[in-house]
Amino acid sequence: MSREEYQVPATGSANTFGGGSFNVPAPRDYAGEGGGVMHYMCGDCAVRVPLEKGAPIRCQKCGARVLYKERTKRMVQFEAR
Amino acid sequence: MPHKPPTKEELERRKIVGIRDEIITDVTSTDFPGHYPGESHVWDIEEFRQGVRVEFHQNDPLEASFSLIGVDASIANAFRRIMIADIPTLAIETVFINNNTSVIQDEVLAHRLGLIPFQGGHEGLHKFLKWWRKPTDESEVNSSYYDFNTVSLRLEVACTHNDQAAPGETDPTKLYKHAHVYARDIEFCPVGRQDRYFSGADAIAPVNPDILIAKLRPGQEINLSMHMHKGVGSDHAKFSPVATASYRLLPTIDITRPILGADAAKFAKCFPPGVIGLQKVTRTEAAQTGSGYEGHEGEVRAVVEDPMRDTVSRECLRHPEFKDKVKLGRKRDHFIYLVESTGQWHSDAIFLESVTHLKKRAMDLEKQVINMVR
Amino acid sequence: MPRATKFTKEEPSDAGSDVAMDEAPTSHQPESRDDMSIDPNENEEVEEDEVEEEEETQRVRLLPGSTPTAASFEFLNEGHTLGNALRYIIMKNPDVEFCAYAIPHPSEAKMNVRIQTFEGTTAIQALEKGLRDIQDLCDVVTDKFIDSREKFAAGISA
Repeated sequence: MSREEYQVPATGSANTFGGGSFNVPAPRDYAGEGGGVMHYMCGDCAVRVPLEKGAPIRCQKCGARVLYKERTKRMVQFEAR
Repeated sequence: MPHKPPTKEELERRKIVGIRDEIITDVTSTDFPGHYPGESHVWDIEEFRQGVRVEFHQNDPLEASFSLIGVDASIANAFRRIMIADIPTLAIETVFINNNTSVIQDEVLAHRLGLIPFQGGHEGLHKFLKWWRKPTDESEVNSSYYDFNTVSLRLEVACTHNDQAAPGETDPTKLYKHAHVYARDIEFCPVGRQDRYFSGADAIAPVNPDILIAKLRPGQEINLSMHMHKGVGSDHAKFSPVATASYRLLPTIDITRPILGADAAKFAKCFPPGVIGLQKVTRTEAAQTGSGYEGHEGEVRAVVEDPMRDTVSRECLRHPEFKDKVKLGRKRDHFIYLVESTGQWHSDAIFLESVTHLKKRAMDLEKQVINMVR
Repeated sequence: MPRATKFTKEEPSDAGSDVAMDEAPTSHQPESRDDMSIDPNENEEVEEDEVEEEEETQRVRLLPGSTPTAASFEFLNEGHTLGNALRYIIMKNPDVEFCAYAIPHPSEAKMNVRIQTFEGTTAIQALEKGLRDIQDLCDVVTDKFIDSREKFAAGISA
């Protein structure tokens, strides 16, 4: 199941697919952050909340305690059927 | 006892499928050797060539209507089935989703993308592009895509607030930018030699750019890339080159006894406009004894003008005054095809391709039979 | 059920034009090849190439219990499209006593054809003649169609 293990997505040089190259939007590039900071969406005010491991679970803006996980950054493949 | 050769009327009568009010008669074809004693209905290609006719009624790229006369239903049906199921077409097959924060689920979005019909340069589509087969070895899949078997597309849309919108605006297309994702937002990304065949007007593009794919609100985005491959309708309906291809048999209306005056007008109303015309009984017609028109000169009578416009609703058989004066039917060997292309092929090219395909199938099977005997 | 496969790769690799030469593996085949016949995955169903004898599975089989004049054949991956057309053409053969086709089960793409002939010819000959007749028929229809299309186009522009 090595395929399932988490791999840090590489940048730049791995874009071999010339026609389908696309830009990973900048705020999502977390290879630069102090590793392990995840962003969650606040349930009330929909703001992106950065949260480190072990930090209390609260929204910075509105104090709500319900946070949703963001969609995965991994590419998912589907058959158009 | 010598057999009389069939008269022309008899031959015409044999070609008609009878439509009565409660029953359809003479459905199957009877032109087989031995069915009519003394007659030869042996297959003869020259006889067939004499009897076959094709007549066009309409020939537009997206819709063609023509009559194929003189073939049997089994052959006409074979052509129809091949048009629907066996003509290769290019369609989106794989969707690689990098980000989809819209309310449309990934699989639903992928399904919708697959159903969008595309058009492109015909030489590139039919000659240059070849089939893609999935390699049996999983690890080789990503290296099996070449410029001659895969077309790559991209869809990247993000919805944002529109600051220029008027206050109090309620229309989402004005309030937000890219709130509606249409087929025209799909970008074609040519690779390798595809530039030669698919550029300018020949570029791979959706046939209808106004197909709505998804709706977005600010903060949502769709970022995906797609691979298109060739396929056939028998595999998945998205690969069918026709919206549909159908045929109907030419209706026949035989007025056996005269229908005159007000009856004629009522009779004409039983059919779609243009099928029945009203003509005055001429002196010569009235003069013919036994025609039923004696003494009715100058009256209006019903005449069959264009049976092709008839939809065979059998309405006239519902009225007792016409029931015995008219015989409805269809010509068993006159097929009026309607081929509606989705845009990748021209409609007439689809029929030609289906005839070629049947020939190729028969050729391949002939080789197989010879192989089997060996 | 959605058929999704999670790939940890960034995107599918294609023989893209922007692969640097030193990064391309030795097995990488350059894209702009004029000679496509060396491609291992290539298989077309079209035109001038010979039948791929190596890949071709036998799609016609003689069913057991057949005699030279009364034989049943099994076709794989065929259905009513070819079956009904073949039956009609073979029945037009005066030496054929009986011809019928059947599809044993709609879930399986198999078609059986039964041909019984009079003494003059064998069932296999009748089958071969039927397939040849279909090809001739297609040629005639193609010619007539193209002629009629040209006449129609000329008639419109006239």
